[in-house]
Amino acid sequence: MRRRPTRSALVLAGVAVAVFLFCTVDTMRSAVERATQKSAGETALIVYRQNRFCPFTSQLPQSYENAIGKIPGVASVTPVKIVVSNCRASLDVVTFRGVPPQEFAATHSGSASAQDMQSWLSRGDSALIGRELAQRRRLKAGDRFTAAGVDAFVAGIIESDLPQDQSSAFVHLAFLQEQAKRGGTGGVVTQFDVRVKDPAQMDAVAQAIDERFAKDQSPTTTRAETAHVARAATDVIVLVGFAQALGIAALVAVFALVANAIVLSMRSREKEISVLQTLGFRGVHLATLVLLEALMLGGVGGLIGASASYAVVALARTAMTMEGVSIAIAPSLVIAFIGVAIAIALSVLAGIVPAIIAARQTIVAGFRS
Amino acid sequence: MQTTNASTDPHGQRDIIVCKNLEKHYSRGGETVRVLESINLTLQRGAFVALMGPSGSGKTTLLNLFAGIDRPTAGVLHVDGQDLTQLSRAQLAQWRATSVGYVFQLYHLVPVLTAYENVELPLYLHDISRAERHARVSEALESVGIADRHGHYPRQLSGGQEQRVAIARAIVTRPALLLADEPTGDLDRVAAASIMQLLSRLHRERGQTIVMVTHDSSTATHAQRLVHLDKGQLVEDVAVRA
Ligand SMILES: Nc1ncnc2c1ncn2[C@@H]1O[C@H](COP(=O)(O)OP(=O)(O)OP(=O)(O)O)[C@@H](O)[C@H]1O
Ligand SMILES: [Mg+2]
Repeated sequence: MRRRPTRSALVLAGVAVAVFLFCTVDTMRSAVERATQKSAGETALIVYRQNRFCPFTSQLPQSYENAIGKIPGVASVTPVKIVVSNCRASLDVVTFRGVPPQEFAATHSGSASAQDMQSWLSRGDSALIGRELAQRRRLKAGDRFTAAGVDAFVAGIIESDLPQDQSSAFVHLAFLQEQAKRGGTGGVVTQFDVRVKDPAQMDAVAQAIDERFAKDQSPTTTRAETAHVARAATDVIVLVGFAQALGIAALVAVFALVANAIVLSMRSREKEISVLQTLGFRGVHLATLVLLEALMLGGVGGLIGASASYAVVALARTAMTMEGVSIAIAPSLVIAFIGVAIAIALSVLAGIVPAIIAARQTIVAGFRS
Repeated sequence: MQTTNASTDPHGQRDIIVCKNLEKHYSRGGETVRVLESINLTLQRGAFVALMGPSGSGKTTLLNLFAGIDRPTAGVLHVDGQDLTQLSRAQLAQWRATSVGYVFQLYHLVPVLTAYENVELPLYLHDISRAERHARVSEALESVGIADRHGHYPRQLSGGQEQRVAIARAIVTRPALLLADEPTGDLDRVAAASIMQLLSRLHRERGQTIVMVTHDSSTATHAQRLVHLDKGQLVEDVAVRA
């Protein structure tokens, strides 16, 4: 009895698929959450053109840089030009971020090797690319690549914890302004990345910036970086919420599936249970057997589903990009673990009633069935 | 442990089964059916008893009461020195594990286990070492003449071979009482004869107490005592051999 083969590989497959769905969806959810949830120590603000939601249409004069820098509480300002291939939500988008080279090198000295940084500074057409982007396009230092009509040289990889940096290519601002001819004259940027000195001042500084340009030709809207991503990702957040409901529904299906499988197999096993009872096996033994079977179904199925999900996410290395912001989807062992744990818990739960029935079965009734 | 009050033996060791005014009723559709009525019967240790009677006379029911897998409605029932009516569900299970072996008409081996594993199964309820378990299983398979088939699954065995494995499973725990419900009922004549020879030999060589239900009078000739049931009542009780 200790090694009863599974009645049906179908049940295992069903559990695996459900856990796969749950884990994959939950990985996306957690990626979005990570990128959009306000954190306490946050100091990054994004200044965007008011009422514009796409890097093509958010155009701000580069000269704002000085004015923003003078606002009290501002630690640093970086003008950024963003070029993307399209504005809609997509899984394979390269975001070019044009930044002033010296400033960027100063603030990001720890993010790339000194050698890569030097090489980036020395070439006007060079790019530092995020790790996800490098893996997705199989790029390494010394390669050339083209996206969104911009042709650039890869100076090196840039390390960053910020999800939206993962699929970005950082290039010299002047280079990008030159390349993006459609944008008109040079001196036009998409946004300003602002750092504040004190996280508590985020709102005040944002308000001060927007007031400063309210009467100007190009009024601005300033948000915390997470809020900026969250606004751009509104549709995706709704979608992910929906997908999450789907993932939970899949788990409920696991529960029903395992319960059904066990009840079915119990029905055909009433005699077998009676035989075991005749041999002297007690209720606890039989209940344990039933629960072990449930545990095995949930555990093995869950493990298959969770590993498959982990592998797919790890290999795909995708990032959701919308309106120029990217959310990288990274595989998570924690989520895989949770998926397996939930599958096991639900399966065992599904096995409880059948286990009690098995333990309580009267022998004679089992033989007469 | 309570002992029987058999007059012949103050410790109840000579009588293995004592029933007095034993009753078993079932309720079927609100109606009470008296399946066994006032059975008085004493069986001795080392006996080979055939329980006979027409279909529906209550043979299986009586055997199940002896085996402790069903409970009497009323009356006294002592088996192997134990008052079965006094035991809880779990105690009864524990008692079964040590005191009785049961052979079914349809063998009822566990299909996903090999012959060896089927025989080993009841020993998991006994506190014995692996080596001891192995020795006992081998000995049991040997004594039913099926040692060469120990790795086979039930579906790879003939009916007669399955029943041998089932007998090995029943005796591997060395129970005081071996019960068999029509053990040859599903076998052809040749296989049936060889199973009966096996049971006779177990009785003769080991002094195994056997109570066997059978329809067939030729099968019953192996027994020393014939107990006839009809409509739930004991109608005849004859000793065949001394
Ligand atoms: N659990 C039960 N519930 C209701 N009636 C039962 C139950 N068990 C047995 N009976 C009835 O008791 C009577 C005796 O049954 P039992 O199985 O003991 O007969 P038997 O002598 O073994 O018959 P057979 O030779 O056909 O095996 C039958 O009428 C049967 O229908
Ligand atoms: Mg019967």
